[in-house]
This record gives sequence, structure tokens and C-alpha cells, in this order.
Amino acid sequence: MSEDVAGVSQKILTGIRLNDEEWAELLTTRDLISLGMAADAARRRRHGDRTTFVQIVEVPVVTNATLGSLPEQAREIRLTGRPETTAMAIERVEALVSVGGGLPVTGFNLTDLFELSGRDSGRLVQVLVSLREAGLGLVGEVWAEGPLPAETAFTVLREGGMSAARLTLGESTGDEALSLIRRIASWSDAGSVCRCLAPLPRSLASPPTTGYGDLRQVALARLLVDNIESIQVDWSSYGPKLAQVALTFGADDVDAVASVGHDERGWRRSPGEEIRRNITAAGFTPMLRDGCFKAVKS
Amino acid sequence: MSLESIVAKVESAGRIDRDEALALYSDAPTNLLGHLAEVVRARKHPSAIVTYIIDRNVNYTNVCVARCAFCAFYRPVGSNEGYVLGFDELFKKIDETLAVGGVQILLQGGHNPDLPLEWYEDLFCAIKDRYPDFRLHALSPPELLHLSRLSQRPVPVVIERLVQAGLDSVPGGGAEILVDRVRRLLNCESKATSDEWLSVMRVVHEVGMRSTATMMYGSVETVQERVEHLYRLRELQDDTGGFTAFIAWSYQPSNTELGGPEATSVEYLRTLALSRIVLDNFDNLQASWVTQGGKVGQLSLAFGANDMGSVMIEENVVRAAGAAYCMDEVEIVRNVEDAGFIPKRRNMVYDILGDPLCRDSAVPRRTKLAVARAPGDTSIPAELSGYPARTRTGKAERAVE
Ligand code: SF4
Repeated sequence: MSEDVAGVSQKILTGIRLNDEEWAELLTTRDLISLGMAADAARRRRHGDRTTFVQIVEVPVVTNATLGSLPEQAREIRLTGRPETTAMAIERVEALVSVGGGLPVTGFNLTDLFELSGRDSGRLVQVLVSLREAGLGLVGEVWAEGPLPAETAFTVLREGGMSAARLTLGESTGDEALSLIRRIASWSDAGSVCRCLAPLPRSLASPPTTGYGDLRQVALARLLVDNIESIQVDWSSYGPKLAQVALTFGADDVDAVASVGHDERGWRRSPGEEIRRNITAAGFTPMLRDGCFKAVKS
Repeated sequence: MSLESIVAKVESAGRIDRDEALALYSDAPTNLLGHLAEVVRARKHPSAIVTYIIDRNVNYTNVCVARCAFCAFYRPVGSNEGYVLGFDELFKKIDETLAVGGVQILLQGGHNPDLPLEWYEDLFCAIKDRYPDFRLHALSPPELLHLSRLSQRPVPVVIERLVQAGLDSVPGGGAEILVDRVRRLLNCESKATSDEWLSVMRVVHEVGMRSTATMMYGSVETVQERVEHLYRLRELQDDTGGFTAFIAWSYQPSNTELGGPEATSVEYLRTLALSRIVLDNFDNLQASWVTQGGKVGQLSLAFGANDMGSVMIEENVVRAAGAAYCMDEVEIVRNVEDAGFIPKRRNMVYDILGDPLCRDSAVPRRTKLAVARAPGDTSIPAELSGYPARTRTGKAERAVE
């Protein structure tokens, strides 16, 4: 491990705040491996060799598509996209819960719900209460930065009796995203309402992010953000190759694994087998969870 | 033998043996392997330069009698999807390569029984006549063996004739795993046994040519056999010093007879790192972005690679097996710099040719690699009629011509 990065990482691991010079060292170091080693140590201290994953079924919120038969492997029904109204959101949750066979139904970006509530946090609390009563298991995503300030978002979630599956960096990328991670680390109550931090961009950047950039972001998230339990990578957005390497750089949860494969190439290529094989090959023990982060016995 | 003692040995520039390599691969955490690979890489390349070459991967024919079980590229003799590129098609590809600053073609193909040695000689002479400074990095050891068998001439004679015709260097394809048990399972022992592959490379080096070495891992081999492959290469390199670089890539299973899953990206990075540690007499290790994609390709630089390989321009073999990644020069340069390194163009023997060309001129962006031929193009080059065919199909085709 390089002296500089090792020293800085050690400081983080022992809870000492970084000065700006040390922070700059982490942002610019070519020594990605030292960063990865420190993040892996932090991750193993917290989660051992366990890596959780969830297989999901996605349902677009704005269509009236019915669920059809639920794939046996699905452990979460996820509403995707932005509803046109809060009434539509509640209706769709009710509809899916009624046919979901007890699987957790999750969905929505809290920022979208805030907009649909006329940017009124009091109304947003009411919407969250209604969604919870309709059966929503978790709000899908909370942006750490956006029209709804994070501190307000956490308060609203608590008052609405809801938690969020993940805190994301919203539209921040590059150095801005890294600075945001540093700020998230100081939000002591983030972990009480957000199950994990998903530190990689949710939409395609131009130019695209790089492997170094992505892994630096994942590693720094694990090293700095002690106040959120899990660091999550998205299997479908980032693909098996990057997502698997991210597990050795601090991530401990894999989101959005498909329930059904796109081909008929046999059991070894089914998404469930593929993710287990990847987690094992990365040196971890796979553990299936449901959409509300409860372990599922295989 | 503890992990700590092996780590200490690598850090102090000691040579590790097979058992130690195996222990390292089996027991070392991924980032520790990366760290050790970086120690060795930095020792060999203290400057932060990362190289790449502008060249084109051309496959002159996909007709092949070897029928390797892992290959999605070949077509049997008589297939209506089989092709042989004509000299003019190849000249056009070279012109396009030169236009984007390319310095060589990597020319490989199937074992086509209807292409005699003379066809290769005439092609190489014609290329060198037209493009005297353009480099021909061509014909992997199994192709040279195939030509030796087809022409009933010893390998050294075949090599000598091809060098006379213009062959500059030899690509390290067809090595797969240099263990015959594995080669039997992959149905590629008959194209070249492990000893044959190595002995052809020895001849190549003895006549003064340089070559690369490769490993296709992740099919049916054990980790011991993967390690054995590395040691067989290291031993030959100790003797000849003729290898310029090593390239590892993962078996690509789609559309192959063998099928099965692809080795994961972590396995790729671990294998790459172990290769850097074991192959302490190889100067250069290439990143295989063509099988791993740009992101893991870039991460290879943290796991022992010091070279981004080729911009390729064209690729047919890996694409046939399901991988279709593309990195043009702009993208390679962006990734190298993003990782904190300095990108430089090179040739096959790793002479630095200069800074990225895309800095000084607006090179057209490429988002897809070209293919050998447009789909459905079944044309037969006119000059083929001037060469004797061996198969009934080949003879019939040429009679029609
Ligand atoms: S790998 Fe080469 S030798 Fe083997 S079948 Fe494919 S083209 Fe022929």
C-alpha cells in the first residue's frame, strides 16, 4: 500500500477527519489498489464476507401493464418511472400489492413525489403515509442533493413512517459526487432512514465514467460513510464486470439482479446462478435478500 | 510457505515457483494481488507511461479445419458463410489503417486447406511492395504449423520463406492453455500440442523475429494448469527473450460448441496480476479491453498491465463469441490519463512512436469495430483461381471461376 494513501485511509478507519490536503490526495491518487484495500478492510469489518443481492421484477408505473405470473426467483416488485399524480402512485402500489403474493413492493424517487406534492413537505408526508398504507415497502430512491434538501427528506420519511431503499448522489458526477460523499458522511441520521448508499451515477454520463472513477467512488463511499450500513452497486446498470470488481472495493450489496434471463442458455447462465457465481468468485458469500433487505433462505 | 513469505519474496524481486504462484492465486485477496502486480510493473516501468498501438486486426479467412471447441469464428470448408479476403480488400484495409495513423496489421485466420503457402508469400510480397514500411504481424504458431503440414515443408523452412516474403513478427495466438490435457478437451491439440506451439515460437525467436504470447483462460482448465501455462512461457522466455508482450483473455462462450459461462472480471484481474508476478522476464502486459470492456480494461492498469493493446479498428473473432466492445484512440487516451498515466503510441517492439495522434488532428470517432466483410458478401477473390485448392469444394469453386 502506498504510504500516502495508506496513511490517509488509516486515519479514516480510525475516525479522524481528513484535512483538505489529505482529501485531495484521495481524489487524485493513481494508487487505486491501496484505496481498494482500505475500503475492503472497512467493508469486511462491517459485513464479514457476506454479500447480499436482490432479484427484482420491474413494472413501469405509468402503464397499466399487469404483472402476469411472477417469476419464482423474484424477491421484490419495483415500480419504475415517475407517476403522473400521487393518486396514480398510490393506486399502482395497491394494485401490485394485491397480486404480489406477499413480495415487497418498492418504488419512486422521493424528489418526484415532492414535485407531485407541489414541493410541499407537509403534503409529501401525507403522500408517504398513504403509500405506506397502500403497502409500499420502501421508497426506491432519495437524492442526497436536489430540490428536496437531504435533511428535509430524512425528516419527511420519518414523519411518513417510511424508509428508503437507497440514498443516491442524484445527478452529481465527478469531483462534485466525491464532495457529496464527504458531506453525506456527516449526516448522522442518514442511516436511520436509508438502507444503503448507491454511490455510482444512476444515469449515463457523457463522457462515460471510467473504471477508476467508479471504483474510487465506491471505495471512498465505504471508507467515509460510516453512518449508512451498506454500499450498493447496481447489477443491471453497471453490468456484471464492473459491479463484481466493486465488491472488492467496498460494496456489499448488489441491486437490481433480473429475475429471469434473456436467453435459454441453461442454469449456469440464469441471473441467479450468474450473480452467485460472481459473488463467490470475488471472494464473498452470496446471500439472497428481499426488497426490504430481509435475508431469504435459499 | 506462508502467504507473507511469498509476498515478501515478490516485493524484494525474488522469483516465485509454481507452488508459490498457486498459493498466491488461491489465497491472496484480489487487491493484494493487484498491489504485488503493481510492484513488479513499477519496477519494470518506473515512468508512468502506458502504451498502445494503432493497428488493425484482420482475419483473412474464417474457413478452418481445426474446429476448436471454443471457437465461434470459424466456418467449415464448403460453408456458405466461409470467406477468403482478396488482396485488394486487404490493401483497402491497410489504406484505411494508414489513414488513421496505423503502423501494422495483425493478420490471422483459419486453417484453410485451400490456401497454399504460395498464396501467403504472394500476399506478403504484394503488401511489402505497396507499403514497404508497413509492418506485418502475422500468422500464429498453429497457422505456421498448418502451413508446414500443408506444404510438407519443415516449420523453419516455412518461416524462412515467409520472412523472405515480408513477415515481420508473429502473434502469440493459438496458445490457449499450454497443457495437452486441456488442449484435448478443447479439441485444439491437433492444431498444435503445447510442445509444438512452444517449438514454433522458439524457431521464430531463433530467426531473429519477435513475437507476443497469449493465454485464453477460463474454459476447462484448472488453476494449476493456468499456472503451468505461465511457467512454460517463462521458461522459453528465459531461453530466447523473444517475447515482447503477454496478453491474457477470457474464453468467450457465446455461439461456441463448448458453451458454458465466461470467467468473471475479478478472475480476469487476478489472472492478469498473477501473470505479471510470474512472468518477471516479460516487459509488457496488455490489457484485454476487447473481452473485458473499457472499464475493466482500464482497471487492468492497476493490476499489472502497462499497455492498452491495440485500437484494433476491426475485430471478428471475439465478436463472433459475443463480446463487442470498442475503444478508439480518443477513448484509450482518456482512460489512460484518467488512471493517472501518460499515453504514448508504440510499435510492435514497443519503441515509443509519439504522443496520441488524436491530440493534433481531429480523428473520426469510432463507436464500433469494423468486420472482415459486410454480412452476406460471399464474393470469391479473382486471384484465388491462380492457386491450387486441395478440397473438393475449393477445386469446384475455382473451376467455376
Ligand atoms: S480458433 Fe483458429 S484454429 Fe481454432 S477453429 Fe477457430 S479459427 Fe480455427
